[in-house]
Amino acid sequence: MVQAKKTLVLPEARMSELIFENPYLMLMLEHFGISLLIQDKTVRQLCKEHNVSEDLFLSFTNLFNGFQPSVTITYSFTDLKIITLFLRNTHQYYLEEKYPQIRSYITQMFELNDQSAMLMVEKFFDQYFAEVKEHLHYEDQIVFTYVNNLFDCFEKKQAACLPGNYSVSDYQEHHEDIEDKLEDLKNLLLKHLPLDNDQQIRRKLLFSLFELEYDLNIHTRIEDEIFIPLVEKMERTIKTGYGK
Amino acid sequence: MVNNNIHIVIIEPSTIIYEGLSSILGYSDDHFSISRLDKMDDIPNYTMRKTADVILINPAQVENNLKTYNTIRNGLSQTKWIGIIYAYFDQHLLSVFDESISIFDTPESIISLVHRTADQSEDSELSTQEKLTDREVEVLKLLTAGNSNKEIADQLNISTHTVISHRKNLSQKTGIKSVSGLTIYAVVKNIITLDNFKE
Repeated sequence: MVQAKKTLVLPEARMSELIFENPYLMLMLEHFGISLLIQDKTVRQLCKEHNVSEDLFLSFTNLFNGFQPSVTITYSFTDLKIITLFLRNTHQYYLEEKYPQIRSYITQMFELNDQSAMLMVEKFFDQYFAEVKEHLHYEDQIVFTYVNNLFDCFEKKQAACLPGNYSVSDYQEHHEDIEDKLEDLKNLLLKHLPLDNDQQIRRKLLFSLFELEYDLNIHTRIEDEIFIPLVEKMERTIKTGYGK
Repeated sequence: MVNNNIHIVIIEPSTIIYEGLSSILGYSDDHFSISRLDKMDDIPNYTMRKTADVILINPAQVENNLKTYNTIRNGLSQTKWIGIIYAYFDQHLLSVFDESISIFDTPESIISLVHRTADQSEDSELSTQEKLTDREVEVLKLLTAGNSNKEIADQLNISTHTVISHRKNLSQKTGIKSVSGLTIYAVVKNIITLDNFKE
């Protein structure tokens, strides 16, 4: 994973300067639905403009800069809307941009490299991508919909609409698997698959895998360490009758 | 890779020194993971849960506790000890450590010293070498043919526990965890042919 220079970001920081330091933050802005033309705006200005809580924005930015999620920040339930949007956008980026790009590199590599092993790599990736798709679709359709309903329920302060036997803690597992296979692919490309005349395309493919991995790592941490605990907290609040 | 992580424990009362060392080491290499303990007495408790490859320690901790130091040290044969020097200490005291670093050393020399010291303490060199043993090759063949751990154990007359440990080594040596990834590896290295695979 690329090591970003470790700057703990504060609300007064200029977003453009942060990006010069760690370009991966461009992806983060995109996931927040913030356009790249950020001019000279500070973090605080951007947050205000896009209705994102400063704490939440800073905590994600610092995650991208290599810090642990802060334990002192308490996220509010209204943050869930933004977090869900962020996660949905990230999924879209994976499904519509990143994975197809990787797939096309593999196809190009295959054209330059007529080994039977390449056929297997293609198959490996397709199977892997199918698993990823299934997982992301599950989150998009089941988990996020559930959380949206839960949130509506919370806003109306109704307990009755809590879905009886589903809980957000039911899903979590898949992530590790997704990251393992990505690692496998990198190892195959760097250590084992004989190189024909595919040097350039292999490098592009590897860069692309590293990029995906960087974003995926953070994505997983946001889901596991911020999103799920917050949803669980909301589940508890609803179950206990809003602290009555 | 997580497999050959070098686990470093720093025992240093000064936060400035600790933070300095930990960021120099932490940013040099993904394979370093760093923890901090307050005092030497905490080591036995800690190492019961986690192994420490290298312990960086302020010699003042050891100075009047040589006996405790030796006891702890004898209990941890795999661990290497490095003194952190930023004041004058008696040469005799320093000789109880494997190595020492001065706070005036360059980051590069500190990093390379920690690496060298850690490499002596474990056979990490060996285990990351790619050469597979005959037994591992057999396990790999059966694995790629779609056998479960239990089936492999039965066919090779070994316990499932042993199969799992062979699989761990396979993943460590090749960097590949999934069976489908290992299958590609096995074809590339001519351990199995594509015909085996199609069946």
